Amino acid sequence: MTENTAILNGQEIRFEPGDTILTAADRLGIDIPTLCHDPRLKPAGACRTCLVEVKKRPKLAPACATALTPGMEIVTQNERIDRHVRTLLAMYLTDHAVSGENSLISEQGTGNKLIDLARAYDAPLDWPSLDNIRKGRPTDVNPYVAFQPEKCIACARCTRYCAEVESVSAITMAERGSRTTVFTADGRSLMDTTCELCGGCIDTCPTGAMTEKKPLVSQVDSLKELEKVRTTCNYCGVGCQMDLNVDPDGNNGRGKVVKVTSPPPGTTTNDGNLCVKGRFAYDFIDHTERLTTPLVRGEDGQLHEATWDEAYRRAAEGLIKVSAQHGPNALGFVSSSRCTMEENYLMQKMSRAVFHTNNVHQCAAT
Amino acid sequence: MAAKVHQDTAIPEADVYGVGSFFHLLAEPDVKVRVCNGLACRMAGADEVLKAAESAGLPVKACSCLAACDQAPAALRDRSVLYQISRSHIDACGGDWKKLVTDATKADPDFRGVVGPSGSDPEKRAIDLLAEPDFSGQAFAKACDLGAEKVIETIDGSGLQGRGGAGFPAGFKWKSVRGQADPVRYVVLNADEGEPGTFKDREVMLRRPDKVLEGLAIAAWAVGAEEVYCYLRGEFEDPWKVLSDAIKRSEEAGLFNGIRFHLHAGQGAYICGEETALLEALEGKRGLPRLKPPFPTEKGLWGKPTLIHNVETIACVPSIIQRGGDWFKQLGRTGAGSKLYCVSGHVKHPGVYEMPLGVTLDELVEEAGGYEGTLKSFSPGGASSGFLPASERTRPLDFKTLSEVGSMLGSAGVTVLNETVNMAWAAQSQLIFYEAESCGQCAPCRIGTRFLRENLDKHLARSSDASKGNLQPLEHVADAAWEMNEGSICGLGQIAALPLTSAMKHFPEDFE
Repeated sequence: MTENTAILNGQEIRFEPGDTILTAADRLGIDIPTLCHDPRLKPAGACRTCLVEVKKRPKLAPACATALTPGMEIVTQNERIDRHVRTLLAMYLTDHAVSGENSLISEQGTGNKLIDLARAYDAPLDWPSLDNIRKGRPTDVNPYVAFQPEKCIACARCTRYCAEVESVSAITMAERGSRTTVFTADGRSLMDTTCELCGGCIDTCPTGAMTEKKPLVSQVDSLKELEKVRTTCNYCGVGCQMDLNVDPDGNNGRGKVVKVTSPPPGTTTNDGNLCVKGRFAYDFIDHTERLTTPLVRGEDGQLHEATWDEAYRRAAEGLIKVSAQHGPNALGFVSSSRCTMEENYLMQKMSRAVFHTNNVHQCAAT
Repeated sequence: MAAKVHQDTAIPEADVYGVGSFFHLLAEPDVKVRVCNGLACRMAGADEVLKAAESAGLPVKACSCLAACDQAPAALRDRSVLYQISRSHIDACGGDWKKLVTDATKADPDFRGVVGPSGSDPEKRAIDLLAEPDFSGQAFAKACDLGAEKVIETIDGSGLQGRGGAGFPAGFKWKSVRGQADPVRYVVLNADEGEPGTFKDREVMLRRPDKVLEGLAIAAWAVGAEEVYCYLRGEFEDPWKVLSDAIKRSEEAGLFNGIRFHLHAGQGAYICGEETALLEALEGKRGLPRLKPPFPTEKGLWGKPTLIHNVETIACVPSIIQRGGDWFKQLGRTGAGSKLYCVSGHVKHPGVYEMPLGVTLDELVEEAGGYEGTLKSFSPGGASSGFLPASERTRPLDFKTLSEVGSMLGSAGVTVLNETVNMAWAAQSQLIFYEAESCGQCAPCRIGTRFLRENLDKHLARSSDASKGNLQPLEHVADAAWEMNEGSICGLGQIAALPLTSAMKHFPEDFE
């Protein structure tokens, strides 16, 4: 056996230093259930769903947090592990608000991984339920993020995300034991904390305990399938990819964006992250005051709908006129941070090469 | 408060809040009186005391074991433990918690528990709680003469096993820490005694702080550490005083040059007796046990190799060095050394008795003045060892023999129950404890401890009405217990179901 090989379910596998049992199994398409795992975060090994057998260890080991070592022998499926997963899921469900078929989907476009796993592993659903005793923050007035403690499994993905990815640490795991909950300092509103309202906590939450407060999505039948449309966020030049969640029947069948989610971590440059604008500022799309065509001021002093050609021509005429009358430095060009790098480049090119002035700026430069 | 700490340290305010809310003494500053709801204290009438305190309008709450089971029932006034509290003491304070005192604590500020056995040969006691402290530093001097390798060899050869609960061979840990490449190492004293039925470390620190410090100094010197951190539970006001006086005294006398001692107060969390949770707490975090491996001997406090020992374990070290490993080894009967057994519950003289490792319950209780009533059941090693039937009274109380019957010596906190005790009620006490003290990090323990307690409550409520005999609420106990043992991160969750499952196994009639 060579140095970096291990035995996974009887099969010899090669691994890279630092690989965990979970990453190696993933590569081989071997399914190990997880709840608290997010590849962006340091493994916590806390939800216990990913426990596997490692030879010579009497206790089951968390696949997410156990680094492979040469010669390690791992079994990911047998009677013991199966009993463990099913029993653990049954226990989770006793402490989780589940009532009726509809509540199995916490919010449109947000699955509940706990329920999915319980179904996939045929976990017993008849264990008596416990009363929810975890504290929430019902008076939190922030406009975007809601927390439903009765759906929380205390996996700490949200708090770890807030600290490890965003470096914000607005939320924390608080209290202890069966009262363990997600909280802010002194239970204040997120608006009065370091929170930047990025909504990453919603995104990483496996059970829908962290949800979006914005109303659009709640108006859609929770069982209806939403269509996901991949696009590039146009709030700044970073180029985050995002998925518009579209209700196909909205806007009289034209489709209506009711929610924005990030593509899964590891698939796009933004690695599953979005900011407050990208994630939450989508309701302008169908806003009644939104401009959908250029407007040009006519002889009558009023704004009139125009084509893009007309609008460009009008702008060019104005610029050339000012330059001719007052010289190139009478002009200044200010570009927007909502433009891409390429668009900003073109803007300075137009300023310098076409209009011969260095009066060019971009709003994100200060 | 969190805002202030954040300003002073730049630690995120939410994190500070999260830590504060974890520890009961910090989270509830307005609770000034706490009445222990441990099994021994409840058997001695703690429920009645709590009720009286509530109706007297005191800012009171129940709390977990105060390491005073020999002085049951016990209570905490601010940070001071009050022994043998009764209804009359509550009445006497006139609704003012500051005036709450008990006869034991009022009469003698230097009150100590009962220790023994007084008739035995002091040569047969490694710690010897009956003797006066000895600040000569002779054992440390001898250790320095022997050299670190020889010292570790001696500890290894003595067969000394960790006396906090796990029984891990001490010599193995010393060798491991000494063998680490990192030159910065630490020694940590685990004085977060809180296992229901256990109060030996309290007496060791009160009576033999010399042994504790000298043991720590020898350990630090042998493994190449300069800093020693002593983590005392926050309720140990008196042991803190005695230990810090002893540190001052040894510093003034220059006994252990080159070794610095630091005291750290816990803030109310049994789980911090788990070594890695203790390290987290020392680092200022929530007391959540770490995943192992790596073990503290490799990556401990602030990621450095760390030797952690329980108070009793470390207090064995000086006499092992002075008299040799073989001497220590033959002090025991079925395992190495003499052992401090805590006896409480239904015995005449509850206390700490240093006896050969492997004595039987009957021998132990004889030293403690005999049984009160007829023996029904006992816990040999704290709540975590579950309950055994009276038929096990002649079984040697040691690490190996008890594990053969699914129990353990643990911390050797022996709680004796007589025929008046209903075992379902006794199990309930232990479940209340585990639910209150679970850290909440992993689901099997967080949910399991609560699931068992709630369902036992339901069962007991059902038993008291007409439908007596219906076992439905306990239907899933065996499965939940199995999963808690298989799936929990640390020992707390792994054994938290044992009091219930062992009581159901040995005393099914009490659950009918």
